[in-house]
Amino acid sequence: MNLRKKSLFTIMTALLLTVIFTILLPTTASAQETDKTYIIGTDITFAPFEYKDADGEYKGIDVDLLDAIAKDQGFNYELRPLGFSAALQALETNQVDGMIAGMSITPERQDSFDFSEPYFESGVVMAVSADNDDITSYEDLEGKTVAIKVGTTGAAFAESIQEEYGFDVNTFEDSANMYEDVQTGNSDAAFEDYPVMAYAIQSGLKLKIPTDPEPGDNYGFAVNKDQNAELLEMFNNGLINIRANGTYDDILDTYLGETSQTETANLGFFGLIQQNGGELLKGLGRTLLLTITAFIIATILGVIFGLFSASPNKVLNWIATIYVDILRGIPLIVLAFFIYFSIPQFLNIQIPAYLAGVITLSLNTTAYIAELVRGGIQAVDNGQLEASRSLGLTYNTSMRKVVLPQAVKIMIPSFINQFVITLKDTSILSVIGIVELTQTGKIIIARTYSSGDMWLIVGLMYIIIITILTKFSNYLERRLSND
Amino acid sequence: MTKLKVEHLKKSFGNLEVLKDLNVEVQEGEVICIIGPSGSGKSTFLRCMNALEDITGGKVIIDDFDLTDPKQDINKVRENIGMVFQQFNLFPHLTVLDNITLAPKELKKESTEAINKRALELLETVGLSEKAADYPKSLSGGQKQRVAIARALAMNPDIMLFDEPTSALDPEMVGDVLEVMQKLADQGMTMLVVTHEMGFAKEVADRVIFMDGGYIVEEGKPEQLFNHPQHERTKNFLDKVLI
Repeated sequence: MNLRKKSLFTIMTALLLTVIFTILLPTTASAQETDKTYIIGTDITFAPFEYKDADGEYKGIDVDLLDAIAKDQGFNYELRPLGFSAALQALETNQVDGMIAGMSITPERQDSFDFSEPYFESGVVMAVSADNDDITSYEDLEGKTVAIKVGTTGAAFAESIQEEYGFDVNTFEDSANMYEDVQTGNSDAAFEDYPVMAYAIQSGLKLKIPTDPEPGDNYGFAVNKDQNAELLEMFNNGLINIRANGTYDDILDTYLGETSQTETANLGFFGLIQQNGGELLKGLGRTLLLTITAFIIATILGVIFGLFSASPNKVLNWIATIYVDILRGIPLIVLAFFIYFSIPQFLNIQIPAYLAGVITLSLNTTAYIAELVRGGIQAVDNGQLEASRSLGLTYNTSMRKVVLPQAVKIMIPSFINQFVITLKDTSILSVIGIVELTQTGKIIIARTYSSGDMWLIVGLMYIIIITILTKFSNYLERRLSND
Repeated sequence: MTKLKVEHLKKSFGNLEVLKDLNVEVQEGEVICIIGPSGSGKSTFLRCMNALEDITGGKVIIDDFDLTDPKQDINKVRENIGMVFQQFNLFPHLTVLDNITLAPKELKKESTEAINKRALELLETVGLSEKAADYPKSLSGGQKQRVAIARALAMNPDIMLFDEPTSALDPEMVGDVLEVMQKLADQGMTMLVVTHEMGFAKEVADRVIFMDGGYIVEEGKPEQLFNHPQHERTKNFLDKVLI
């Protein structure tokens, strides 16, 4: 090992340790506190109830109400924006203690959750594109397509009248995509809670509301069935207090009143970059950190499994084959959900989303790297191993001194390729609420309603970073092969 | 003194029996050439002598070590047996000198200086002193094979196995390699050589073994086997190769 490789190794190790500590430290710190901090799940895009403003702060009716109630009752909380359906699953699996996300109190939900007293009355409304004059009632939806958001009351309402009026549905994970689908004309209408829809249109979304809202639904704060009763009680008491002292009305006025300030929309390509550059770079940084952490772990494990599958030992072969077959057979998104939702439920533990993301990506990438290492080893002429063994060198020494140095050179291009794939795969982890580059894009769109330009920007950022990394790797590869 | 003893050696690949009951005894310092048509099992036989092939049945005893004993540390036995391959199998990522010193540096308790000094002496013996710092890719086939011989000798073996050492060489390169092998034989090395070089066999071998179909058909001194073969199959083979 020459000096350059040695220093590279040192940097990698230091990086790995830093990352591990960053992941572990916050958990250790919070465990030492005597006062319990409640983890509250919420949606990422449901303005005016919750959304991220240009300064990167979460705002909205839910956010402000929760904060006012927590202050009134004197409890600590941490807000965790996961997306609506992910937050629901997190609540069911006790990954979060409570949930506030403009969530309607319905009989079905009451089977699984305990709700607070209603804190807001809402109702579902239909919205169509601003220039659409054909749809003025539910009857006009026959043969049309309707956009809905998974798990919402709007979706439940649309499904309840679907058969009667004969339309198709497109389902989405967040509001911004649902709106965009109607704006671009892929879907003809969307169903959404009235205050949310009204706020979005006021903020510049090019939709309109042709019908009256359905009679009201009540929003409630939820905890898992028979869990955190004291949290629910504090919420109810706090709600009574802030209603009495006027705080409640002030909060609603801030977002729904005639004079309320809405976030500016229609910034255009460069305006978006200018306003959100810092946030996007932060998202990109997190994408890179996730990729590098997972790739380092996967490289270590992948080399071990690769050696197992190239080894003459049948038991080790089996272990490697089983691992690779299982992990290659699970789609990344399913693996992410399994690790983030199922494992905590089975083992009754909590796994932070970032850690779950790193584990998901590492396990998946390990399987591919193991195959790549096996391929690299097998590509080295068997005569090399025979020559080495015939000199009296052991299998392990022969691998280390003769086969692996040659295999590594063969493997480098595939390693670079795998790194690019892993980097792109991080975007899938946005489903468990990790704010990497793709999720950052979603959050900005939720605030600005500008999905067209935003996805272009996010796509370009991926292309630029991957191109830079590929060029750098090619340069490294040339340097190594000249050695 | 008996150096190597093969008793009822059998080797199968799956259902295919390649070696069928071979018995050979080799004395110290003896040079044995093994000849025969391709597919006769002669390379497999040679590769059983250092257990590069798993032995299916019978015994191979070298000095006092039984190769087929599962408790035997095969690496220790191999240190004493050098092997030269048809395709050289030099390590392409190491220089000529590092190719030769890799095994002694890992296995012998000698100083680096002593190992390097001996490697350079061996390179001189095979006539390639000036190539010590070069990588294998810059060498010709004949030069590669001579480095491979030096590499095998670096562990100070007392048996050398040669598996068709000149078959992959251009004709003009063959002479240099055979010359090195002749030198080695003259120094009293025990050698087993699988070869198609009948001239070399005639001139250098103490004994020639003719194999066909997984059996030893005939063995004897070169002049006897080449001039007065006893078996029809030996005659047929020699008629084809000796023009």
